[in-house]
Amino acid sequence: MKTLLQAKSFCKSLVIFISIVLLLVITNHEVFGKGKKRLLFHAGAGQRPSLDEIAEIFQQRHPDVRVDFSYKGSGYFLADMTISKEGDLYMPGEEFYLLQADKRGFVADYNPETDIAAYFVTVIITPKGNPKNIKSVADFAKSGTRVGLGDPKACAIGIWHETIFKKAGILENVRKNATMNAKTIPELGNACQLKAIDATIVWATTAMLYLKDIEIIPMEPKYRGLIRLPVAILKFCRYPKETKELKNFILSDEGKKIFHSHAYCIDPNKVDEDMKWLVEASKVAKDPSIPVTEETVGPFVKEVKRQRETKR
Amino acid sequence: MLYTGSEVKHVSGSKWFISILYAITVLFILYVCWLFLSNTGHTDIQSILQLVNRNWFWRSVKLSLVTSFITTIIAILIGIPAAYALSRFEIPGKTFIDIIFASVIVLPASSIGLCLIVAFQYEPVLKIQEALGFRIVHSLPSIVIAQLVHAIAFGIKAWRVAFDNVNPRFEQVARTLGSSRIRTFWKITLPQSKIGIIAGIILAWTRAMAEFGAVLLFSSTFRNRHISQFSDITRFLGLDRADILPISMLLEIECGNIEQGIAIAFVLLMITVLSVYTLNKIGGKGVLS
Amino acid sequence: MNYSKIKQSVWITSFSAFVVIVLIAIGFLIITNVLFLGLSDFLYYAGESRTWVSFVTTLWTTTIATVLSMFIGVPVGYTLSRYKLPCSKLMKTLIDLPVMVPPVATGVFLLGVFKSVPLVNITQFLGIRIDHALPGVIVAQFTVTVSFCIRLVMASFDTISPRFEAVARSLGADLPYTFFKVSLPLAKNGLIASLIIVWARAVAEWGSLMLFVGGIQGRTDVMPFAVYLDFISGKIGSALTMSMLCILIAIGSMYAVYRVGGKTRVW
Repeated sequence: MKTLLQAKSFCKSLVIFISIVLLLVITNHEVFGKGKKRLLFHAGAGQRPSLDEIAEIFQQRHPDVRVDFSYKGSGYFLADMTISKEGDLYMPGEEFYLLQADKRGFVADYNPETDIAAYFVTVIITPKGNPKNIKSVADFAKSGTRVGLGDPKACAIGIWHETIFKKAGILENVRKNATMNAKTIPELGNACQLKAIDATIVWATTAMLYLKDIEIIPMEPKYRGLIRLPVAILKFCRYPKETKELKNFILSDEGKKIFHSHAYCIDPNKVDEDMKWLVEASKVAKDPSIPVTEETVGPFVKEVKRQRETKR
Repeated sequence: MLYTGSEVKHVSGSKWFISILYAITVLFILYVCWLFLSNTGHTDIQSILQLVNRNWFWRSVKLSLVTSFITTIIAILIGIPAAYALSRFEIPGKTFIDIIFASVIVLPASSIGLCLIVAFQYEPVLKIQEALGFRIVHSLPSIVIAQLVHAIAFGIKAWRVAFDNVNPRFEQVARTLGSSRIRTFWKITLPQSKIGIIAGIILAWTRAMAEFGAVLLFSSTFRNRHISQFSDITRFLGLDRADILPISMLLEIECGNIEQGIAIAFVLLMITVLSVYTLNKIGGKGVLS
Repeated sequence: MNYSKIKQSVWITSFSAFVVIVLIAIGFLIITNVLFLGLSDFLYYAGESRTWVSFVTTLWTTTIATVLSMFIGVPVGYTLSRYKLPCSKLMKTLIDLPVMVPPVATGVFLLGVFKSVPLVNITQFLGIRIDHALPGVIVAQFTVTVSFCIRLVMASFDTISPRFEAVARSLGADLPYTFFKVSLPLAKNGLIASLIIVWARAVAEWGSLMLFVGGIQGRTDVMPFAVYLDFISGKIGSALTMSMLCILIAIGSMYAVYRVGGKTRVW
């Protein structure tokens, strides 16, 4: 009797053990994509939705390639690359960081004339309902407004916050209002979505992530920033051919169209039109009675549809 | 009953087995030493001097100490009675409470930080804060709240072990001799479990000092804030425009000042060595595990 | 109901109130999060492949790290429980350090170790990469959990009287035989409980990965890291879902500990 019990419990533990091992072996092969060429793509955290979509299409066309992303605040990549000496492509949110990387000799292939994937546009965002009634850049200096600023050392938006508020002559007052220092751009968006801050300036593409929970206010053209989004091949690159193909795909018209659908600007002359669609999209996302079509939200159909499916 | 260090007297012939046991132990201790010592090569005196001369560094040290002390005091005030209740009374659903408290210990810091920020910005909670005229998220008190979660979970665990190790017999005897409950608690239970309670306090403080992830998500960073954001008291105490030490270290390293970041890591290491050594010295049994 | 009974109930209630305070605080955190996320969103994001890739990565790395930890933890824990080391307090301090040092500092130290002389040569010679790659996750989880594991194993051996071992020895069994046939089976429940706790702790490890490994999406982002990564790139729904899964794992494993624990308490 006793031996039978022992045998039973032994079998039980054996079955558990074997199933765990099997599970691990199977998942290992499926998930980690053994035997594929793996590209490591350093990109600013703000570019995530568009780049994820691009990588998905690229991987479908090149089944032997997998693109791994490392998303961070653009400013942190320099230290990271200095330590890790790894990475194939680099796409910070601001050319400034790329030039710094170039100075340190990390960049293998970058042509400032042609290697611009798209442009960021700056917009003002506030929590839903705009509690502090922010209408323009000047309103950021009103005392009692909680403003979120980016850290210029960490992320690209930080540089542009300084530039914009300096231009408006209110940098010191805005600094007094700043209750948050963000390390990445979406952190500002999160804070706005959670109503932790009353207003901030982010890229249009970041604002795009929170259509339901924020109000988007286009900026006056004199303060509006159009920021070049550069992409460069790093010297640590292991698969030059595939990396080059991915870069070309990003710079191609098809890639640019994907960027456009995520509220990047691809034609500097049409910024106003894009901004108009963005404001429309934020209205449509909040109001389920309006149908989501080309006529109502312009290029942003896919993204608005996706956000309709979930609460957040 | 615990049988620490109660050696089994060995006859000859098993020496090799004991040697293997010792060898593994020594190897592991060497690994730990090496883990810390090999890093001395990555920092130098010059960058340590530079770090010490920076204003924010001392403010950071002060902020870390002040917040962790406040955290520990709150943890003591809430945790010790709670631990006593869990140890002595038949509370309904005790198993459930045990499981919940224990799972806080193995909760990822990022999860805690996210939970905190969402909870305190949830609509009704936000309304209450608005009505009372303050905002917790991204403020200095938020550091204390973020540190409190892990600190109190570890504290309650340690204090509970401490109370469990006191034989309730003594309390019963004191009660039959006519001592009141409060008097018994102060004169019998607390002195008897003194070592365990102190060990728990040190443990909670060390945890509070080490907390990093929850603070990063819940409080964000303070170093670049404007001075007018801080109240007069914090300015007077010199706690303005500073981050707690682990976060300062992360910021330094992410910005590329690796030498200074490692210097801060050594400061943190020394603090931890001191408190853990004290813990082992006073020897609260079963507290650390 | 006489006077002393009322006094007793006041006494018990006043202490239990503090337990309730803590419970309410934890409940407040979890319930607001659940309400904020909502079930439909939870199901939507739980169905995304990203969540499961991250989950499987976690499962993988933590299982390996736990097994490694146990291989070190059982002998060291046994040694600490049964024998006295020279300057034992200092030695125990050293053993406790990796789990007590702020995890983010542990990550920095690990980064430094794999950049210093003997190891950097070994990894280069073997052509493998530790930092900023999957093995780094395992190394970090191992380093942090192993001291945790040693403490737990030591505690479970401490509850076993050496008498049993002494009897086995006096009947002629040698030490290895006694260890494998007497000590280990006696401590079985405690060891299984330790294993689960160590695994749960490894799942929760994030701080040391921050600088040592960095999060590469779909490759090294174990669940706690994925929570952070999704939060800083604006996918709060996905981050919250992952965070809920982490909480479920933590509660589930603690329940498992309670079930197998035997003499070992949940803590």
